[in-house]
Amino acid sequence: MIAIGDLCRRMSAPAVVLLLLFLLVGCATQTRSLQSTAAHLPRRAELAATPFFAQERYQCGPAALAMSLGAAGIGITPEILVPQVYVPEREGSLPPEMLAAGRRNGAVSVTIPPKLDALLTEVSRGNPVIVLQNLSIPMSPLWHYAVVIGYDLDASDVILRSGTTERLVMPLRTFEHTWARSNHWAMVALPPGRLPVTVEEGGMTSALVAFEKTAGPAAARKAYEAAVQRWPDNVTLQLGYGNTAYATGDKTAAVTAFKRATELQPDSAPAFNNLATVLAELGQFDAARQAAEKAVSLGGPWRDAAAATLKDIEARHGKRVR
Amino acid sequence: MIQKIKRLFVFALMTSFTFFGFTQTVQAAMIGTDQVHAAQASTENHAKIAAALDRPEVMSHLEKLGVTRADAEARVAALTDAEAATMAGQIDSLPAGGDVIGVLLTIFVVLLITDILGFTKVFPFTRSVR
Repeated sequence: MIAIGDLCRRMSAPAVVLLLLFLLVGCATQTRSLQSTAAHLPRRAELAATPFFAQERYQCGPAALAMSLGAAGIGITPEILVPQVYVPEREGSLPPEMLAAGRRNGAVSVTIPPKLDALLTEVSRGNPVIVLQNLSIPMSPLWHYAVVIGYDLDASDVILRSGTTERLVMPLRTFEHTWARSNHWAMVALPPGRLPVTVEEGGMTSALVAFEKTAGPAAARKAYEAAVQRWPDNVTLQLGYGNTAYATGDKTAAVTAFKRATELQPDSAPAFNNLATVLAELGQFDAARQAAEKAVSLGGPWRDAAAATLKDIEARHGKRVR
Repeated sequence: MIQKIKRLFVFALMTSFTFFGFTQTVQAAMIGTDQVHAAQASTENHAKIAAALDRPEVMSHLEKLGVTRADAEARVAALTDAEAATMAGQIDSLPAGGDVIGVLLTIFVVLLITDILGFTKVFPFTRSVR
């Protein structure tokens, strides 16, 4: 960037223009390929029910997030989000905090794959997408968050809630150029229980674990419940579902999930340990002791925790440690 | 620089203790989902050390950038380890999405042309050629 700046100062204005055009001219390849291979997408979609908040100066981050949360059924104003995401000296909001603030307000937030196809797929399935664009040139960036709420493949347009414009229609090609400068950064913030369609298993698992930590067990349980239905063989998701079911008082559902986790990964000490704890609380001491002994024997980093669980079970059952 | 040396020192120190283990405090009977998830990463201990250092760094940095102490604390608490790491390393270079207005006059003409050609969308009044 500095190099380009120095270069520019030594060149005449027309040369600068030519150079910049040269640097900018790239193909909107995704737009082009989408035109031919988008058979799975409806030709147009628009999530017209997405609320609109006109942004205040520099505060497109809070506005975009408030619109997305509103669409998820979480009523919140941009003003409340300002102290959660806005960085005064940077005159803007940073991507990691956009994700974190989504979670803080009860939505499962996750980045989607950096592909135009994925973006439009989410929109076509009813999920508005927050995108980070650089509306200007890389040398003098104008970073901006907007919410993609629709598209029209025949007209080759995307429809955005952007800045102070409630319904901005932008050529798909221009949008792709502005979006590519953020490496196609895009996120969704969805109500717990609703999953994005394009996010793969690993990314979704991490997002849900983060959600559990911030949003608490009741909301997280709903989110895990939907996820274990889509990926029933994922141990972490089963553990998450078990832990949140347990924390919300549903011990029977917790036992089922932990048992499933031990079947999926027979060397998972945490699964056996947690299973043992819940079984003991349900009064099934023999099964509980068996599970705890298994957890201890698996050892690893969880050995101490498992040993404490076993000790606890045996003390409660009135038996001595063998 | 001092921050870097500090990190390096603590990192070296902690790494040398790795074999004695970062075993969980033996309190709760349940093992948390986040603990299990974090443990699955192969660089578990490294990540933990880094995360432990990242959070205070991000917090003080946010305060320097004009966020109140209470807000900064709540914001850092809501970050995942990975997000905290990103923030710690790039808080000054991460793109801060902010505005749709306010461009230097010197590049006004350039942007006008790029707007019309459809490579940028800085000005609300431009309509790009197709």
